Amino acid sequence: MYQQQQQQQQALPDEDLAYTVLSDLKRVVREYATAATESTCPTVRQMFTNLLNSTLKMQGDLFQAMQAQNMYSTASPALRQELDKQIKEYSQTQQKTSQWLQQRLSGSQQGFGSFAPYQQQSQQHQANQHQPYYS
Amino acid sequence: MLQPITAKELEYIADSLSNEDLLMKQNALLAASASNQSLRQIGQQMLHTHQQHYQTLMQSFQQHQSIAPTQPQQ
Repeated sequence: MYQQQQQQQQALPDEDLAYTVLSDLKRVVREYATAATESTCPTVRQMFTNLLNSTLKMQGDLFQAMQAQNMYSTASPALRQELDKQIKEYSQTQQKTSQWLQQRLSGSQQGFGSFAPYQQQSQQHQANQHQPYYS
Repeated sequence: MLQPITAKELEYIADSLSNEDLLMKQNALLAASASNQSLRQIGQQMLHTHQQHYQTLMQSFQQHQSIAPTQPQQ
């Protein structure tokens, strides 16, 4: 929409150029993660872990820059009822698993404080009402 | 701490060098030819980081050079 002439001289439009880099960064992030998990030598593993973090940061920075330029349309927001459904489902899963764990580990002294029911947090979330979703 | 590099690790490092090489070139294009100022800037920064990554990977080759066996093991 601006600098039309310069656009024509470019190898690729800005969006395509940036998107090419972004998708390669995403691919390289996955490859570094795989490389780290497949490493035997601790020094090599640490190197891949550092490269993973550095690449992940670049991918995030580039994504934000692209989003700021309106070059990236993010997925539409998930609906409230979908969110409610998942919370309900996974609260039940959590409860069942918690019981299962209690049965298996009834002999041990370990508590289950870190796996407490979800209820309170979800009510808090309800309290600070969201803006209505935009279409 | 430093162990001889495995064949698998060698392959991953070599693949990573190819990836970093490609990303350097792509970012050079972004830095040079994007019409948007902030994209040119970020391209410049990323180019720099990928050059550093390349150096890091090359160093890991060099570090393991002296402890690599010259004959197949077993």
